Amino acid sequence: MNTSPEVKQTVLLRWSLWNNMAALCKVISRTRFAVRFSPTRVLRSSFSSSEAPGSDPPAPNKPRSGFAAAFDQQSELRREAESSSAGSSVSSLGKDESFASLLRRSPLIQMGPAKDKVVVGRIFHVVQDDLYIDFGVKFHCVCRRPDDGERLQRGTRVRLRLQDMELTSRFLGASTDTTLLEAQAVLLGPVEGKGGPGASEPGLIEPQSQD
Amino acid sequence: MEVRMRSLLTFQTSMAARALAKGLCGLRPSRAVSVGYTCAGHQYTTAASIKPPQPQAEDVTEQLVNQSLEKPDFFRVSELISLKELFDARVHLGHKKGCRHRLMEPYLYGSRLDQDIIDLDQTVQHLQQALNFTAHVAYRGGIILFVSRRRQFGHLIENTARDCGEYAHTRYWQGGLLTNANVQYGVGVRLPDLIIFLSTLNNVFQQHVGIRDAAKMNIPTVGLVDSNCNPSLLTYPVPGNDDTPASMELYCRLFKMTINRAKDKRRQMELLQGLSPPSTPSL
Repeated sequence: MNTSPEVKQTVLLRWSLWNNMAALCKVISRTRFAVRFSPTRVLRSSFSSSEAPGSDPPAPNKPRSGFAAAFDQQSELRREAESSSAGSSVSSLGKDESFASLLRRSPLIQMGPAKDKVVVGRIFHVVQDDLYIDFGVKFHCVCRRPDDGERLQRGTRVRLRLQDMELTSRFLGASTDTTLLEAQAVLLGPVEGKGGPGASEPGLIEPQSQD
Repeated sequence: MEVRMRSLLTFQTSMAARALAKGLCGLRPSRAVSVGYTCAGHQYTTAASIKPPQPQAEDVTEQLVNQSLEKPDFFRVSELISLKELFDARVHLGHKKGCRHRLMEPYLYGSRLDQDIIDLDQTVQHLQQALNFTAHVAYRGGIILFVSRRRQFGHLIENTARDCGEYAHTRYWQGGLLTNANVQYGVGVRLPDLIIFLSTLNNVFQQHVGIRDAAKMNIPTVGLVDSNCNPSLLTYPVPGNDDTPASMELYCRLFKMTINRAKDKRRQMELLQGLSPPSTPSL
């Protein structure tokens, strides 16, 4: 009973498509779901949906699907991120954000698994040949100074390839892991080009795109 | 004498009537005893001219203390804490899942790729309670001791303690420091009234001895517990990250601001009550 008017709609639509666009509009206006829409949108929807196009009538202000929806969402996110970083409105935006949303949008969570990700860190302590580099997570990493690394001093920003966020291991007979309180990363070299975005950062250091 | 007291008290703006009543009440028992009365264990001889401010001071001190207990957030420490600030200082990051202590599981938000995430909503509540308690202890002139065995932050903690006029112990903890204090440091040593542990672990991943000793000596403790720490013996545990310099600096700053705020408030209230020599009351 429910399918027969829809089947009838489908047949009618498909028949009218081959003939005339004006006739198509008249047919559609006589059906139960009489909604105003442009003929072009009707064409698109009837091509895309195979069964029961009438049950889901597209309207001009309906949220788009597929690529269009993804593009809208991403541009909105980018606009929000730009406004929050440019305006530095910690007081207005920060108070309203919950911990869950802060966590979800943090670079650490967005980065995913740490294996082989390239990040930017900052050297905060130097002991002869050992460089202590902080890159915005819980622990720092310690890297050996490369042979041509005379310009790597305290405060230099460097690129790292992460291996592990925290070096832990469960030894035989222990009840909990033993942790070294360090991360492990491979030093790739100093950041080229002075004055990158957010050069003086006390907070999180953004990960770069994977090479 | 009474006339002089009354004229003194009329300088005060809001406390005039109450202080006058207190003054009269204080004067009455002293008039009954003319020579030699005890006050707080000391013997005083009174001539007629020395009207003692001591019983009055005791009443006023008690009144100051009772006033601080009227409101739940008398020192407004909740203004000092913000979730965004805690988040930016990476307080929510915990250790790996294998290092987790069983008793820390209620304080964890979850685990992401094997790394524990501490629930900052709970941290904000616990931190507010801890800061409120610290402020009340500082308001009453208690001795606060900062303890941590992390060598990376020892200098920072000692500077924090010096800046707020309290004490710090970031070196080797002798076994009988609290429990055997009368023998080790002489008779009548005053023990701290509050111990703040900015890291509850020793370097060998044993719990700091001071937590157990403070519990034995009935000393309240505030402790920063990471996901691999044991929060059970602490009076006010605060779940949070204790390994990153950013979070430690934030905590030190918060404790310093709280203690300074409480001490300033005490000085202000004392001036209002007229305990110190009459100067322009700070409002």
